[in-house]
Amino acid sequence: MNAQRLQPAFVDPVLDAQRGFRGALKALAEPGLIQSLPAAPSLEGLAPATYALCLALLDMDTPLWLAPCFDTPLIRANLAFHCGCPLTTNREEAAFALLGEQDLLDLSGFDHGNDRYPDQSCTLLVQLTDLEAGRALNWRGPGIKTQRQVNLPVPQAFWLERQRRETFPRGLDVLFAAGHHLIGLPRSTRIAQEHA
Amino acid sequence: MNLSPRQHWIGVLARAFRSELLPHEDALRDVDYQLIRAPEIGMTLVRGRMGGNGAPFNLGEMSVTRCVVRLADGRTGYSYLAGRDKVHAELAALADAHLQGAHPSPWLSDLIGSLANAQAERRAQKEADTAATKVEFFTLVRGEN
Repeated sequence: MNAQRLQPAFVDPVLDAQRGFRGALKALAEPGLIQSLPAAPSLEGLAPATYALCLALLDMDTPLWLAPCFDTPLIRANLAFHCGCPLTTNREEAAFALLGEQDLLDLSGFDHGNDRYPDQSCTLLVQLTDLEAGRALNWRGPGIKTQRQVNLPVPQAFWLERQRRETFPRGLDVLFAAGHHLIGLPRSTRIAQEHA
Repeated sequence: MNLSPRQHWIGVLARAFRSELLPHEDALRDVDYQLIRAPEIGMTLVRGRMGGNGAPFNLGEMSVTRCVVRLADGRTGYSYLAGRDKVHAELAALADAHLQGAHPSPWLSDLIGSLANAQAERRAQKEADTAATKVEFFTLVRGEN
């Protein structure tokens, strides 16, 4: 029975959701800078930061695409109960997508928005095991004064996949989460390929 | 309208007065439980249909309080009630969880039975009071033809 798997979510639904939203906002405003969400609840299979982003951002108007590794009865039941978001198997319909590291190699199908409404693109929530264990890359662009060194542990193929899909103003915004921390990668950020 | 037993007791618990549930508070809280959704107050849009079958229209908004609890054995109790009484919402959710047990009979007879009787009495009383104020209008036939 689904109900047996329900877990409590935010302790303070209003303030904690606002903190989650604020964290996402700051992460995208200052790409590459690590934001922390100390008071996030945890759920088996979801890191606290990932779950906090889901609870803060998802509601009945935002269809969610779940990667197979997150598609468990527990996660389904709790997202349905606390967020009320519809789940979709169709990438084109999704307003948000929850991905694991292994899903980063194929970003096909997600909505990039259109030239008139680039904001309608799909936002990717990516759960990693760590945010600082990867190869150093230099990020540039809005929100970064000159350049910022970021060590995201994501496969090289992801950067190529992302570059292939960038047609500004259309594109994909990504929030990387691990543990209680998150990093934002908006579509406007440019990645320098040389080693830092 | 056909109501399942659970619909019936959730309705009875929602219509009960807080003062009627408080005597049972100690018994209701005497279990391990956690709040899945702590009592929270919100608004809901009430819609109506003219004559019960016309086009739906928005009547207005009302405040509701809802709560979800889970007992240690996994039973989950829900409550939705009109008004802003968080204690009432928590007790009603607890009662719903207790009533779903394998042997809900003590709660069903003790709590729901007496609450339903009290509500039926109040309703009958109100209907009697209202009936006493009923006025029959009639028109005298005018001798015009």
